[in-house]
Amino acid sequence: MTRRVKIPGWNVLGLLPTHVIMLLTLIIPVGIIILVSFSTRGPYGGFEYVFTTAPYKQILFNEGWTGELEFNPQYLIVIARTLLLSAITTVICLLLSFPVAYFISLQKPSLKIALIYLVTLPFWVSMIVRVYSWIIILGKEGVIEKTLRALGLIDSMDSLLFGDTAMLIGLVYSYIPLMILPIFASIEKLDPALVEASHDLYGSRLVTLRRVILPLCQPGMLAGAILVFVPCLGAVLEPTLLGGGKTMMMGNLIQLQFGAARNWPLGAAISLVLMAAVLIFLVARGLRSVRKETRELTL
Amino acid sequence: MSTNPRIASLIAASALSLVFSVSAHAEGKLSIYAWADSIAPDVVAKFEKESGIDVTVDAFSSNEDLLTKLQAGSAGYDIVTPSQHFVKIMVDSGLLEDFGASSLPAYQQVLPEWQKQWWDPTGNYSVPMAFGNAGFTVNRDVYKGPVDSWKIYFEPSAELQGKIASLAQPDEVIPAAQNYLGIKYCSEDPQEMKRVLDLLVAQKPYVAAYSSDNIENRIGSGEVAAHFWWDGNTMRVRRNDKANVEYAMPKEGLVGWLDSYAVPKNAPNLENAKKFIDFMTKIENATAQYNYYGHSSPVKIDEKEAIYTKENAPELFPTVPVKMGEACSPAAQELVTKVWTQLLQ
Repeated sequence: MTRRVKIPGWNVLGLLPTHVIMLLTLIIPVGIIILVSFSTRGPYGGFEYVFTTAPYKQILFNEGWTGELEFNPQYLIVIARTLLLSAITTVICLLLSFPVAYFISLQKPSLKIALIYLVTLPFWVSMIVRVYSWIIILGKEGVIEKTLRALGLIDSMDSLLFGDTAMLIGLVYSYIPLMILPIFASIEKLDPALVEASHDLYGSRLVTLRRVILPLCQPGMLAGAILVFVPCLGAVLEPTLLGGGKTMMMGNLIQLQFGAARNWPLGAAISLVLMAAVLIFLVARGLRSVRKETRELTL
Repeated sequence: MSTNPRIASLIAASALSLVFSVSAHAEGKLSIYAWADSIAPDVVAKFEKESGIDVTVDAFSSNEDLLTKLQAGSAGYDIVTPSQHFVKIMVDSGLLEDFGASSLPAYQQVLPEWQKQWWDPTGNYSVPMAFGNAGFTVNRDVYKGPVDSWKIYFEPSAELQGKIASLAQPDEVIPAAQNYLGIKYCSEDPQEMKRVLDLLVAQKPYVAAYSSDNIENRIGSGEVAAHFWWDGNTMRVRRNDKANVEYAMPKEGLVGWLDSYAVPKNAPNLENAKKFIDFMTKIENATAQYNYYGHSSPVKIDEKEAIYTKENAPELFPTVPVKMGEACSPAAQELVTKVWTQLLQ
């Protein structure tokens, strides 16, 4: 047995670049956001380093039109709507991605690579351009309207743009590759022998899918769900350009606080609430998988 | 003293960024942060050729964006072009440089009615660049009715319902609503602002979008029939894109604005900024700039060379009162935000 030579502190040194990057791009910025969220707002935007918890109170309580402080769920409504729309987007992505990923995994290797490349292709184009292109597709005299008219199905139609439907289409379109790729990866890892075994044991196609394939692909589906859900929470482009900005999402709300509202501390506080929501989601999922692993180990 | 390392690294980081930004703005450079497509590229090219100064122009799309950027610090810009009420806010917050604007040759070109106004009473912080107003534009292919009142826009008839669009920011929409309701700008009275909210909430079901992007396509193509917009932009879409649009002249009054050249505090190339402002206000350059931008010029231009006249560009010559937007107090601004948040919640 050879003993590995261990230089004390070597690990730390080797990881130093990571630590520096994390410190500069994550820990310090988040620290600044926390600092701002507990500061007093400046009269015309900006902030002063005077400690206050007012921004957090403001998320729940606001002065009513008659001047008294009252419970006001306006920000909570925005937060709840954001969570809901992100969840819907995630579910739609999941339902659409699984068949696509499965289909790709069944192709011969050269075609498989080409198809995966096609899935990632949109990422080569700027996000703004991609979302804008949906305006041309959905809008008045757009691709859809012209096609339907050419087919003689309609004479004229109301614009599909602006509203939750257009926004959801945009969100699903933007984030679906992030769902397809991890599901594809987990289907690839699937041992075909297990599927064969299920058939040998008289498992129908549905039973095989439900009891063999889906459970084994769960890690990929969960990874995809996180990759879609989390960026959806902060989406600004799709609600603004396709949703028509009629109802605020959290991203727009934060933008409003730093812009027109000139209330940076409140904007920082809402950002932190958003971050906390994501963290709770991730920690809950982390705990569940840890519990599952220990359960499997004890069995 | 546990926070010291964090502060130290913060200082180190900002010092680093300062070093980089300073070296990037050495002699012979000028960086401008202006409204999108607001400065004539050929005039800039001419300035570069004559002066040897390398000019970069970045674009912002709202005064709030500009204010936030300056407050965040060390943006490295030499010239910015805020509107009048934001000039006042920026001067009051110490974000602009006193560059002695009123003693520059450029200031001699400024028309008397635009000199040393309330937003810059000493005339030392800003040189007017362009002015205009905010109102609404209708697409005449879609809407044939009258356009003489804000009532048409804020309380739309069946013909317009679902076919109007507003802006994404409250900065000009709320003053327009105040004009319609006969409430003064920047009101600090919650009851008055509640009336503004009620008006906008009643209008909301008929609004297709609250968006400040891509307006020319939305109104030009007839995607919407009426859009909150600006005078010169309407004129350009009508003339350049041959869109059948008309700029409304609401009798309750339009919302006026005036953008100025200003210099942020500690701008790296102050002298070049002065040179550029002097250059832009020379009569032939100001005329070229006017012909490009299509908004009224607060500096002298050569009338013979000007493309837009009262006859071919009625948008630029309003026949109704124009009330300049004001700088709201924090209390009034709070009410504006409240209206907007409750409208879009």
